[in-house]
Amino acid sequence: MFFNSLSFAIFLPIVFVLYWFVFHKNKTTQNTLLIIASYYFYSCWDWRFLFLLVFSTFLDYYTGIQIEKAKKESARKFWFWLSVGVNLGFLGVFKYYNFFASSFASLLNGWGIQSSPLLLEVVLPVGISFYTFHGLSYVIDIYLKRIKAERNFVDYSLFVSYFPLLVAGPIERATHLLPQVKVKRNFDFEKAKQGVYQFIWGLVKKVVIADTCATYANAIFDHHENMNSLSLILGAVYFAFQIYGDFSGYSDMALGMSKLFGIDLLRNFNYPYFSRDIAEFWRRWHISLSSWFRDYVYIPLGGSSGGMGMKVRNTFIIFLISGFWHGANWTFIAWGAINAVYFLPLLLLNRNRSNMGTVALPWEWQSVSVFFQMLLTFALSCLAWIFFRAPSIEAAVSYIVRLFTEGTFASQYLENERYNYEILLLVGVFVIVEWYSRTKVEPISGKQSWLKLAACLLAIIALGTYSDYKEFIYFQF
Amino acid sequence: MKHFLIFIIKIVVVTFLLLVVLDIAYTKVYLQYTNRGKIGHVINSKDKQYDVVVLGSSRANNHFVTPMFEAQGLKAFNYGMSGGHLFEASLMLKLMLEHNYKIKNIILEADLNLSNEKESETVAARFMPYLHESTVIATHFEEQQGFNAKYYLPFYRYIVADSQIGFREMYQSALKMPTNALNNLGYYPLGKKPNANMKNNITNLKPLRNKYYEEIKHLCKANDINLIVLMTPMCENTKGLNYFDKVKKLYPEIYNYENAVIEDRYFSSCGHLNDAGARQFTKVIIQDFFN
Repeated sequence: MFFNSLSFAIFLPIVFVLYWFVFHKNKTTQNTLLIIASYYFYSCWDWRFLFLLVFSTFLDYYTGIQIEKAKKESARKFWFWLSVGVNLGFLGVFKYYNFFASSFASLLNGWGIQSSPLLLEVVLPVGISFYTFHGLSYVIDIYLKRIKAERNFVDYSLFVSYFPLLVAGPIERATHLLPQVKVKRNFDFEKAKQGVYQFIWGLVKKVVIADTCATYANAIFDHHENMNSLSLILGAVYFAFQIYGDFSGYSDMALGMSKLFGIDLLRNFNYPYFSRDIAEFWRRWHISLSSWFRDYVYIPLGGSSGGMGMKVRNTFIIFLISGFWHGANWTFIAWGAINAVYFLPLLLLNRNRSNMGTVALPWEWQSVSVFFQMLLTFALSCLAWIFFRAPSIEAAVSYIVRLFTEGTFASQYLENERYNYEILLLVGVFVIVEWYSRTKVEPISGKQSWLKLAACLLAIIALGTYSDYKEFIYFQF
Repeated sequence: MKHFLIFIIKIVVVTFLLLVVLDIAYTKVYLQYTNRGKIGHVINSKDKQYDVVVLGSSRANNHFVTPMFEAQGLKAFNYGMSGGHLFEASLMLKLMLEHNYKIKNIILEADLNLSNEKESETVAARFMPYLHESTVIATHFEEQQGFNAKYYLPFYRYIVADSQIGFREMYQSALKMPTNALNNLGYYPLGKKPNANMKNNITNLKPLRNKYYEEIKHLCKANDINLIVLMTPMCENTKGLNYFDKVKKLYPEIYNYENAVIEDRYFSSCGHLNDAGARQFTKVIIQDFFN
């Protein structure tokens, strides 16, 4: 059940009406309804994995309490490592086992030792990377005595399974979400209205921008060996907007619909393509994951406290893990490594925190330099996205080599009977809209909101891609 | 909550109004411009007279060189549609008759397409703009899945088939941008592809007693049209070529020309002749049926 599907358009209003009109008496009834709705939502994907979700929830709930109750340090450690081990074990089996087995076999074959790996034929449970990270952050926070263990199983279950964030985040923290689910929510018209605006804007990003860009990006990436340089550049740009529209659109829909239930989720995107350097890009892209790695990997590894060598090492580690988190493929690891390399000069020059505020382009000469900084950052991220999108490292390298060597910068008719330049205007308009709304979470609210809302609805109806349906990219992670 | 419900109702009303306005606008554009496809061409024409009309799928569209018929003094047009099934071929004939076409001969390609009675998603979508303008189209689609939603919900038919009749197609129609669908009297020549797949496996196909083929036969008989039904060539490396014998057994009146062109150099892909192959094939057909 996708957020942009007809079945979800029926599901959401039903849950909304039940939530505010039937189960509105207290927070327990509200939470119970949201859990039932969330489990139903999850079982629509694959009901068998519901047991995994419930088990994972129970495990972290129970181990959290045991860690807190333990008198001895050894017992605390035992429960902590049990939770971490089982959580990562599930992730390892379902997501990474085949990758490790086949990579190991390739390595042995490379040394002349013939081996055929035993591969598992398992389906990746949807959202496993997200809810595992929810649970891990909760247990780590208890272990580090940052929070108290939650005693109410219903409240804790909702923290893990809340349907707007269940399958693709944002990755919530107990410190942010649990306090909200522990009190009764009262209806707030302004919040709900803003939620609707954000949901609709998310839908624009998904069906108008991401899915339209995907049509062109796919045609270019899938036939890159026949594409000219301009097509290959445009292919990378289209994919950059595809993945941004897809994932930030999903996040906007999740945040927007959550506001309908009176719950605020963590912001996941903050106009990343208006970043002036890669460090700023990573503070604005998939914020909940970046901050997760910062708090639970980078800082425990020593963070920036141990001199430049440690900083560099830790930066590489989190970028590589971040890449690997996205999928069991060398392309994602390469994508992470490339971003680490981009990050390195900023780190060495101690300039990784020099662009913190919202970017502005006043009528001054300095704006030209800021504009080119943004353009360069975007170009670098596009280059890295090629690895993210390509099916293999070889394909990515071949794409980039051809991009720089083919040398023809002309319009080209693609395999899907469209010209390579056709959606540049659409992308341009989208960038302008985003630019003028970069201080807000969505562009609809404010003056003439009805006009802007109607324009968004018009775009969704008339410009959306529906017949060639594309799943949300991050659902596979 | 009351404010919120009013807010949502307003959004629903605005959405509905947009759907209605867009439906009217798109339909108007499609009704006015005729140069982008064969369906629009038929819908917006009347009283045409033909000696030969070709119907069928891409294996008709790419195989019958209609200018060669014209060279023989026969007024001809190739209405074969790439991706089309007999469902759409039958509907095309009905539309022609509705628009008072006078046709002496129809060449119908009926071979692989006999194996299914479904509508072709891509080609059927192109009839949708005219759903409310033609009772023939509405009746033909009446029993198809999702008909009611397409017929009664404004703009829904444009949304579900956006890659065929969505904004891009509407925009190009509004700008009167021509396509090559009507060039060469409807015949679309294929070139020789360097890496063409010259293999095919049709062992799983089974010819049906096809409802739409029967419909075409009935329409031709009722309107005094000479119907010539043909099977057209496949490349040599096709598994399951006995399919054509099964068709012959089921429908003895269908002429088997599967072997009329054999060599791979005359094919663009396994199921499609290139221009040279199509010319050789058309020559044989003209010789056998129009001399």
